[in-house]
Amino acid sequence: MNYNDENELSAAERELLAALPREKATSDLLEERVVRALRREGHLGTAGVTRIRRLDSAWKVAAAIALFAGGVATGRFVMTPDAPKSAAVAAPASIKTRDTVPTNVRSTPVKGELFVAETELWL
Amino acid sequence: MDPGKPIGRNMRLTGMSSPMSISGQVPTPHVTTAPMSAESSVTKSDAALIAAAVAGAEAAFRELFRRHTPHLLQFVTRVLGPSAADAEDVVQDTWLRAYPALVTFRSESSFSTWLCSVGLRAALDSMRRGKRHIADELFEEDSAQDPPHQEDRMDIETAIARLAPGYRMVLLLHDVEGFTHEEIGVQLGIAPGTSKAQLFKARRVMRVLLTGREKNA
Repeated sequence: MNYNDENELSAAERELLAALPREKATSDLLEERVVRALRREGHLGTAGVTRIRRLDSAWKVAAAIALFAGGVATGRFVMTPDAPKSAAVAAPASIKTRDTVPTNVRSTPVKGELFVAETELWL
Repeated sequence: MDPGKPIGRNMRLTGMSSPMSISGQVPTPHVTTAPMSAESSVTKSDAALIAAAVAGAEAAFRELFRRHTPHLLQFVTRVLGPSAADAEDVVQDTWLRAYPALVTFRSESSFSTWLCSVGLRAALDSMRRGKRHIADELFEEDSAQDPPHQEDRMDIETAIARLAPGYRMVLLLHDVEGFTHEEIGVQLGIAPGTSKAQLFKARRVMRVLLTGREKNA
């Protein structure tokens, strides 16, 4: 059977179909229902949260950079040879600097002493 | 008026990409407009509203909803026919399905048409859940109903609602919304030839309902 030929709409039928309303009024309740459902699904209202999260991350990165830069600056200041003496004076007494460590005057034994010690071992 | 053409208004579906299409292909996101403020959303295009809504802007979504839901509600009400009381539930379901798929919408087709295709699937699922009709059998040739013996004339809206679901959907999609048989086949998962056969029978039944008598050929 050829469905194309013998069953075309008449002009009157086409007019009837064309006159059908294309839209139906929706209620505010339906809109609220849909919006609430989308929120529950986590789809809507996430733009503000995303902005806050981004801002929070930016602050954390800036704080980390500032902390690192402060550490580097402090380290350089302390390790600089021509730092003012007041820094050394201000250091706690428990910290021994190179100047206060006693030097070993006789760090290497004398050759004669080694000989005596070896002889005593044999006797 | 050309009798060979459907009545629907600018409802061509060339290049339409439905998130519910059988092919299952996910098209590349096409909407790249930046989000905007609620005040400016009133005069914006659908594409701009979609982009803003995807970004989570509630005002943009509400504008999109108000712009397209009246047509969607009317379409779904007609598809459901006697079950039109569920139309608002189906509209809600449609938006819940459509929202995550907004990024896949391609602007070369009408957003309203795309939304209606999502609504059609939601309506079919609603009918299946309610066991009001066995939708899978709606489009088989054997399930075609004989034209009812109707004594009284009725208006066309009532006549469409009284059609069997398979007839009603094809007649609505083709004669009211302007889908082609190929597009109806994709949307309903049937062959274009089946769509033509269903339309032939749907028109015949509709005439009986409208005139109140059966024409004996």
